[in-house]
Order: sequence, then C-alpha cells, then structure tokens
Amino acid sequence: MEIVEYSRPRSIDEALRLIRDRGGTPIAGAAWLRTNAKTMKLGVDLSELGLDFIRETASGVEIGAMTSYRRIETSEVLAQRFGGALGAAVCHVVGVQLRNIITIGGTAAGRYGFSDLNTVLAALGAKVVLYPNTVLDFAKYVEAGAEVPFLIEKFLLPARARAAFSQFRISESDFPVLNAAVAKTETGWRIAVGARPAATRLCPRAMAMLGREARPSDAAIAEAAAQATVELRFGSDIRASAEYREAILPALLRRAILEVRG
Amino acid sequence: MNITMTVNGKLEHLECAPGDMLTEVLRNAGHVEVKKGCDTGNCGACTVLVDGKPVLSCSYLAARADGKEVTTIQGRVEEARRFARFLTAEGADQCGFCAPGFTLTVLAMREELPNPTETDIRHYLAGNLCRCSGYEGQIRAIRNYLEANHE
Repeated sequence: MEIVEYSRPRSIDEALRLIRDRGGTPIAGAAWLRTNAKTMKLGVDLSELGLDFIRETASGVEIGAMTSYRRIETSEVLAQRFGGALGAAVCHVVGVQLRNIITIGGTAAGRYGFSDLNTVLAALGAKVVLYPNTVLDFAKYVEAGAEVPFLIEKFLLPARARAAFSQFRISESDFPVLNAAVAKTETGWRIAVGARPAATRLCPRAMAMLGREARPSDAAIAEAAAQATVELRFGSDIRASAEYREAILPALLRRAILEVRG
Repeated sequence: MNITMTVNGKLEHLECAPGDMLTEVLRNAGHVEVKKGCDTGNCGACTVLVDGKPVLSCSYLAARADGKEVTTIQGRVEEARRFARFLTAEGADQCGFCAPGFTLTVLAMREELPNPTETDIRHYLAGNLCRCSGYEGQIRAIRNYLEANHE
C-alpha cells in the first residue's frame, strides 16, 4: 500500500481529529498493508495512544484496541476467564512474530470473514467502544459496520461467562475452514459461527433452543447444532465447499457446547 | 520521511516512504542479514526484534520503528554462533536462508519462556518455515541448546 502522508499522534483526540477532519485512515497492526494495493492519503498510526491494555473492571474486562494477539494469548487475566477461549482463538495465527504485530482493533475494524477472534467476541456478547462514547454490540457491529469515520477505542467483555472455541483448519497456522464459539452468559446461551467463509454471525434460533438451562440435554444440544446449519448461509472457497462447511458445523458446535456445559 | 532507530546498538538515521515496511528499509541500509522470504507475513525469514520482541519485518511499518530499538541477527551474533553449533551437530541447517530469522526467534523464545516443553517450542517456532530440514533436527538442536544453557 502506498501511504502519502503518515502521522503518529500522541492523543486519541488528535487521532480522531485527523480521521474525521482530514480523512485519515487508522493504522492498527498494519500487517496487511503489505498486500494491499490501495493508496492511503493520510495514515494515522494508533500505536502511541495508550490503547494496549487488558484490565479487569467492576463490570468485566476491557481490552484496548491496540492490544496485540500475543498479549491476548499470554494474558493471565484472560486465561482465567471464558474457558481460555480468547487465547485459543488467536494462538493459531501464523507465528509469534505476526501475533506481536496484529491487534484486536485491527481485526475488528476489518470485520474479516476468516477471523477466529471476532467469532469469540460475538459469542461472548462483547461491546465495541468507538471513541469517545459510542457503545455497540459487537455482533451487530460485525454485521452492519459503523458509520464512518470512526476510531475503535476498546472492547468490553462480561464479568462472567463460560465459553469455548472450536475450529477446523487444514493445517496449523492456515486460515480456518470454519470456526464456532459458544458462551453461557448471564442472559443465556450464545452461539457464533465464522469463516463460513463470510464473517461471524450469531444463530438466534439455535441459541433459543438451548435457552437459559445451565445443563441442556444431549438431545437439545444436537437439535441446536442442527438448527444452526439451517439459519446460516455457507459459501465455497479454495479451502472448502459450502456443503462441507455445513456438514462439519454440528460437530464443532456439539464439542463447544459440551465443553461449556461440562 | 526521515526516521531514527537504534539498530544493533547503533543510532541510525534512515530515509523511507511512509508505506515502506521494515525489511526494505533495513536492507537498503545495508542490513542484508535480514532476509526477504515470502514478503507476505508467512515464512519468518525476515524476523527481527523490535524493543526485544520478535516481529516480521515484512509486515512491520518502518515509520512505526522510529525511536525504537531494532535487533537483527548481527546484533546477537555471539549467541547465534553458539546456537549454530547445536544446529550443525544435528544436521539441521542446509541452505541457511531461514537461519537468521529462525535463530532470532529461538533467542526470543529462550528469553520469554523459561522452561519450554517440546509443544511450547513447536508452537513458538510455528511461524518460521524451513524448506530443507524437516524440522526434527531443529527441534533436537533447540532442546540440546536449552539444556546446555541450563547447565
């Protein structure tokens, strides 16, 4: 990618001003710039805004937009929560060297179809905070995007939720063929499926089948897993056909639900 | 644009375009020990340390390295030579093209993980591809190297 002008502001207000008033494009991890043929008029580097953090708050956990995958993978706070699903979602991405570069904010901004992390965030019922004070449901944000221009500040995760991440990929460190995440939150079961190969989506009818039961029966789990294949659409690409993705989804979901149910 | 970074302990003033990646800028400045492999963020050959952390220089914006400490394999040459003896003993190095990036990743792993298991080692090195060795010799070499460091 060609970047005509580069700026690395030291405050988030200044970054937002450059994005809103001067048409700047936020630069998060920047790992994909290499393979992008577009021209960026003004690149606004977000690396000096103090957005690299994982912290526990009274209402849950906050993750800053510029937090790297490697930090998420090695975080003790996150390892003890959500069944380690966030770490499990990022640890397959190429190697440590790339995971030291790419960020949760960049992944969310791209709303990438192949993202494992976005699937877990959607299942957990995460919120995305657009600076200064717009809070969006993450799953809805992935589906609809946000009004441009915007700057992702952080992600809000619930205080309590059991979760599991399940995926299938042809080889370690490749993009996933399909991924799924399941969470039991205070509001009930949540199921998200990504890499279809389109971006992650919730499965509301399958979620409703599991209801608020802490320990749904094996039959209810099988029914919900089958329902998810009906309410989602699948596509074909170089990694797998739509039919293949549809066929393996129930197995991924059963595994994840059983892991959460215990 | 002009950027300043410390490369292998020495302050360097470099010129780059805003969209340049670190591999090109370092190589243009004479640091040809930084290998240009896939150039798409997959093979690990271009690994350098930025402020002590291993990153793929092909996927790291050079402008972002302004003010930071960058270490190439030349900056860790004594340790690299020592590790190379373990690689040689296991016949785990052939063409050598991946060795600078691979070795820097091993050195970073040694600093980050005090007692890595074989699973930890394989996971940490997953981003360093080698088309010659088949990896088994490399794993033996790393284990021997780490054990020797503990003694």
